[in-house]
Amino acid sequence: MTMALFSGSIDKLTGAGVVLSGAAADDMDIDVYVLLMAARSFVKGNEKKVDGLSEYPELKEEFFKSLETLKVSTWIEFFEMAKELTNVKIHICSLAGKMWGGEKMEDFIDLADDICGIGEYITSAQEADVHLFI
Amino acid sequence: MSTEELLAIVVDKSVDARGTACPGPLLEAKKAIGTISSGQIMEVLSADEGTKKDIPKWANKKGHEYLGTVEESGFFKIYLKKG
Repeated sequence: MTMALFSGSIDKLTGAGVVLSGAAADDMDIDVYVLLMAARSFVKGNEKKVDGLSEYPELKEEFFKSLETLKVSTWIEFFEMAKELTNVKIHICSLAGKMWGGEKMEDFIDLADDICGIGEYITSAQEADVHLFI
Repeated sequence: MSTEELLAIVVDKSVDARGTACPGPLLEAKKAIGTISSGQIMEVLSADEGTKKDIPKWANKKGHEYLGTVEESGFFKIYLKKG
């Protein structure tokens, strides 16, 4: 499975984490390509500052309250769990990384596996049985 | 299996996932089944309605046997035999 992760908002990152977890429970090999806006959340220091919503931004307080009540894992915890369970590789788009001040691997959080170009993403998406864009 | 038969099973592993919403119970089940041997039985306790369908489908797909579900007060028990 390949996932193009374009959004860096907390609602979409959380949703991506849920999907990743399900795919990991199914033992799927997963390649996540972190594109433009998502790359900001993978730059060291930004991962815990992510709190904007893509959908219904006016319901932010209700969203976070529900996450807490339901004991939903954080987006980072979902990604970490998926990596523990199966072969998940997280690739940071080089252009996207640079846009947010990340040029080398040490600029990104530990979840990131490498920095890649768009050609690798397209090839991987062509070869995958399932491709998602979030 | 009947409810009586399921409740009579002495399970080899019990996973209490009642404190988590989807996908928590599935992830707990996935982790726990790796710790038991083929033929052993595991129960998963969950209060998440989606898990009732989710875990049986996952189990069958992964080659485990879904034995049945027992409703309790405010939660349910899903019984699986590892394949």
